[in-house]
Amino acid sequence: MDTSSSAVTPKWGTLRTREARLAWLLITPTAVIVFGLIIFPAIFSVWVSFHDVGLHNLNDVFHAPYIGFENYIKVFKDYAFKFQGMQSWGAAVTSVVYAFTSTILTMIIGLMAAILLNHPFRGRGLTRAVFLFPYVAPVVSIAFVWRWILDPRPSGVLNDLLMRLNMIDLPKAYLATRGLALVLVIIFQAWRYFPFAMLMILARLQAIDRTLYEAAEVDGANTTQKFWNITIPEIRYVLGAIFLLRLMWTFNKFDDVFLMTGGGFGTKVLPVLTYEFSFRLFDFGRGAATAMILLLILVIFMVFYVRTVMRNVEE
Amino acid sequence: MSDSKKSFIGHLADWLTWRRFIFSATLIFFLSSILFPFYWMVSSSFKSKAEIGGRTAVYVPSTLRLDAYKELFDPNNPSYQDFGRNIINTIKVSVPTAVIAVFLSVLGAYAIARLNFRGKEALLNSILLVYLFPGVLLIIPLFAMLARIGDAIGFNVQDNLGVLILTYLAQTLPVALYMLTNYFRTIPDEIEQAGLIDGCTRLEVIWRITLPLAIPALVSVSIYTFMIAWNEFLYALVFLNDHNMFTMPIKINTIFNDPSPRPNVVMAASTIMTIPIIALFLAMERFLEEGLTAGGVKG
Repeated sequence: MDTSSSAVTPKWGTLRTREARLAWLLITPTAVIVFGLIIFPAIFSVWVSFHDVGLHNLNDVFHAPYIGFENYIKVFKDYAFKFQGMQSWGAAVTSVVYAFTSTILTMIIGLMAAILLNHPFRGRGLTRAVFLFPYVAPVVSIAFVWRWILDPRPSGVLNDLLMRLNMIDLPKAYLATRGLALVLVIIFQAWRYFPFAMLMILARLQAIDRTLYEAAEVDGANTTQKFWNITIPEIRYVLGAIFLLRLMWTFNKFDDVFLMTGGGFGTKVLPVLTYEFSFRLFDFGRGAATAMILLLILVIFMVFYVRTVMRNVEE
Repeated sequence: MSDSKKSFIGHLADWLTWRRFIFSATLIFFLSSILFPFYWMVSSSFKSKAEIGGRTAVYVPSTLRLDAYKELFDPNNPSYQDFGRNIINTIKVSVPTAVIAVFLSVLGAYAIARLNFRGKEALLNSILLVYLFPGVLLIIPLFAMLARIGDAIGFNVQDNLGVLILTYLAQTLPVALYMLTNYFRTIPDEIEQAGLIDGCTRLEVIWRITLPLAIPALVSVSIYTFMIAWNEFLYALVFLNDHNMFTMPIKINTIFNDPSPRPNVVMAASTIMTIPIIALFLAMERFLEEGLTAGGVKG
């Protein structure tokens, strides 16, 4: 090692600059794509939200007229956005309720699945793979299977089952029922994303020191006590991380809700509203304003979460 | 006969404690609620029109009817969907996305993991910021921006699979970069130093030493990006208008929203779209799990 470094030393300075130049060369294509197609658009979207951008001036978008907060005011006044009582929550409240409840449900189911798979049994490897199916399968196919299961016709599985059990007389349109539709979308989210929580929790569970449980058993602790006093404290940090990630992603989620209900019947979340403003009404300014509100809610929550909850976890 | 049956039940009774009962019941509940939708998808794709729209649900199709598949692939069918073209479009988007993403992220991740340059941490952090931006937030400026650039340079934003590849790259590169950087950092630096001392150039070292060692990570990144591009819905929905350019997800959405509902056709198309993904996942599972937790499918 010593001889080799002394052999390199005379050229060290040039090698170092050559390395740096090579590094920039290697990373430039990625950086250009990411900056050009993510960082710049993100900044540009702030700009769009303060300008009147529609189909009429899309070809000359950089000269769109500045209109201040008008887009934001339009969004806040929109009946699809604002809270108008328990019958009609509006997109902002719906989004928050949807994101929190599906994240929590995802984590509960993921924790159950992880505990289940933490026990050794025959066929565990395959079971674990099967448990990941909902997460890896294409969202379009999955969403349409669920719609077909919940189909309003008597040939839909849920209608068929409930009618056979004499629980309902006539077929119902579950996804077209206000309230129920949101509940079903939340259950769908949990069904689809619990494997993510499961994988992360499982990895952590398998890293817990066995002797902790053995010591607890010697002290006479039962299963429930072991769960609350050993398992939960050991996985607390990973639970916090999953909560943050899933909440963020669920809050930003467009396709699942859009494909399940099209955003109707009390399931209009902010991403769907953004899509509708932009690509149904072609009012890009208003769409961008909605997206900015979405981002703002997210950032405020994240700052709050990292400042309070994560700090407590670390202590 | 009866003796062996009795002993089986006796055996079962011995084995079945309360704990085991709860464990097995939960496991069966999980497995059936995960697998039933997949069964329902595949079985529905083989049903006839009468079985799809009857007064009760048909759980097992009477025969394996190919009506739905004929509608997708048979040009002589009255409502021929030309789904083959959609499959090709999807492949045309997802394969290049995976290949380019792996190529670019290998270069970038190597630079971050091994070489020292100023602004490295800032670059990495700002690339990871992408986690925060919702797809719907980016699509508006992207659409406006690319429409303007396309106008100036002379390409069409709409119905351009190249534009779609570019946007998928932007979405997947950060995670790919992150996954590969972490992997490269686990490869001992001494091996590369030895190569450098032997007179290889940096690029030769990457090609001859680092990449062969990083094959698991490369497989995992390529499958991850392939899956994202294969499944992606929102960007394809916005950027594609022409039926001939539709990728599978958009085509399935179109068939679903057809005024005359044909769930068997939707399920047949969904089956075709899902099987390669599930097969790929099962074949490559051991490479994938790390990627699934490290980057998530971002969604």
